[in-house]
Amino acid sequence: MHYSFNIERGNFTDAGQASSSVKRTLKQLGVDPVNIKRTVVALFEAEINAVAHAYGGRIDVDIDGEKIVMVVADEGPGIPNLDLAMQEGWSTASAKVREMGYGAGMGLPNIKKNTDDLKIDTQVGVGTTVTMTVYLT
Amino acid sequence: MPSEETYFKHSLRVNDYLCQGCTTCMRTCPTRAIRIRGGKAIISDNKCVDCGECIKVCPHKAIYIKQDDFGLLFNYKYRVCLVPTTFIGQFEEKYKTRAIYSCIKKLGFTHIYEVEHEVSRMVDLYNLYMDEHPELTTFISPYCPAVTRLIQVRFPSLVDNVIHVRAPLELASRVITKRLMDEGASRPSIGVFYVTPCAAKIAAVKYPVSGKETYVSGVINMDFLYNKVLLMLHDSDKLTQPINHTLSSRDVLWPLSGGEAPHFRGAHYAVDGLRNVLEFLEKLEDEAVDAPGLVEMRICDQGCVGGVLTTNNRFVARKRLEYRARLFERLEHSKIRETGSDDCSLTDEMVDVMTIPEIKPRSIYKLNDDFAEAFKMAERMKKIEKALPGVNCSACGAPSCAALAEDIVRGDAGIDTCIFINRHSQASEDAIRSIWGDRVKTKEINKDNNGYDSQGNH
Ligand SMILES: Nc1ncnc2c1ncn2[C@@H]1O[C@H](COP(=O)(O)OP(=O)(O)O)[C@@H](O)[C@H]1O
Ligand SMILES: [Mg+2]
Repeated sequence: MHYSFNIERGNFTDAGQASSSVKRTLKQLGVDPVNIKRTVVALFEAEINAVAHAYGGRIDVDIDGEKIVMVVADEGPGIPNLDLAMQEGWSTASAKVREMGYGAGMGLPNIKKNTDDLKIDTQVGVGTTVTMTVYLT
Repeated sequence: MPSEETYFKHSLRVNDYLCQGCTTCMRTCPTRAIRIRGGKAIISDNKCVDCGECIKVCPHKAIYIKQDDFGLLFNYKYRVCLVPTTFIGQFEEKYKTRAIYSCIKKLGFTHIYEVEHEVSRMVDLYNLYMDEHPELTTFISPYCPAVTRLIQVRFPSLVDNVIHVRAPLELASRVITKRLMDEGASRPSIGVFYVTPCAAKIAAVKYPVSGKETYVSGVINMDFLYNKVLLMLHDSDKLTQPINHTLSSRDVLWPLSGGEAPHFRGAHYAVDGLRNVLEFLEKLEDEAVDAPGLVEMRICDQGCVGGVLTTNNRFVARKRLEYRARLFERLEHSKIRETGSDDCSLTDEMVDVMTIPEIKPRSIYKLNDDFAEAFKMAERMKKIEKALPGVNCSACGAPSCAALAEDIVRGDAGIDTCIFINRHSQASEDAIRSIWGDRVKTKEINKDNNGYDSQGNH
């Protein structure tokens, strides 16, 4: 099963549609609530990053008989130092983004924690593609 | 529909004579539990959470709550009226609480016991669960039975966040029964009748989530008792029966939204009204809100004063209850009030009676227990949903196109029922007839004098 969604730059309020839609499907499949939560949290964080740090992008979700693969690809500044970005608490979020309640620097670490497989392709000045896999059964 | 195991039972009923199949309830139901079949609304037992929204929106008053026969009362020697303070909130301030209670006694009750006497013990019970579960940060009050059921069916990941304690009325009925037995009454001679503001509390008594025995013998709808008492208040001469008031002003307000807050230290949230409850649960489930502490949730706006069986406007009732609470406060201070001999301690036996061992997840979304099968069904459902018009007209007898798609993959409906897809086929005609019954005939009236309808079909 395939789903795709657009991500709009700076649109925090509409973010989360992809994760709620995925959540609905996982509930239909009777996926364990713990795995649903892991999936939803990871997808939401990746989407928020594309909204907050990049210029929007696209989400592609594929569910098959055993796993869910979520690809969040954006056009944006890229991540110059990935090791640093993966550290808890590290954030370059603007004051404005922080005011909105984001930018605690926990997004990427949380994605790492909640997924079974994580791949980040990033190129400075071009964009970032985050590929996340969660095994459902 | 294919038969499946029923976990839930309800006291909500559809009056087939009054029901017009107008789809209003079906479109409102938060768990999509209603379908139209044979031109009438039918409610699915496993999906319904007794929130009462369908009753509130029905323009034909066709949905009602079955209550116990009042005459049952007289099967018992000791007849206890178990009343929540929501009831006195229904009455104008000019009526004294003791006058209201005198009327209740005149109707045949030998004792009156207010549920809110159990507030302090309920607080202890909540705290016990919270102390036993340090791994959880958010706790949901078990006060509103409709919220618990809603969580079971729509937010199963949150079942453990619900404090595993039965409703206060269960404790109250047990305490008063025990007290009468201590005074020499035999258990079978005691009848405890709860005055309910809503359908959910009835279901909680009759078909408990805990699966445990109840001390409540019967349930009386609040509007029924209100009408009886009001009549008596009007033509009463002397109503001087003394009533033992031992409720504190804080206890009086317990059924209102926000009523539990003053009893707890720490962070607290009061969420009331169906839409708000759904939104908050959705956020909690996604961890999109960080809500450490106690979340008090009431399906009805303003709390129990918004219950479907109350008779007066919920904002007015709230104000009246607040007035009475202030009055009780003055009584407390001036010590006019008889001091209660009530023992507030919580015994091990009470803890045992009140604890719910497990609140089971009962997801209404899950398509199949087998993942592979569920996957196939979900895939098909997605395709069907795409093929459907998406106008949510409800002519198929389902609340939305998405719901129809689900019904189709579950085998509960055929694609022929979509009037957009099968506009002119005989199969569609037959399918529509099975949903709407005789009402399909009205089509004949719409044909013009030449026997042609607007589409030119004969
Ligand atoms: N999609 C992205 N494009 C560019 N930079 C990103 C992206 N995602 C994350 N980053 C960088 O990594 C840092 C850490 O990300 P994260 O752990 O999600 O914390 P936060 O978003 O709260 O800052 C961000 O502050 C940002 O500098
Ligand atoms: Mg982030």
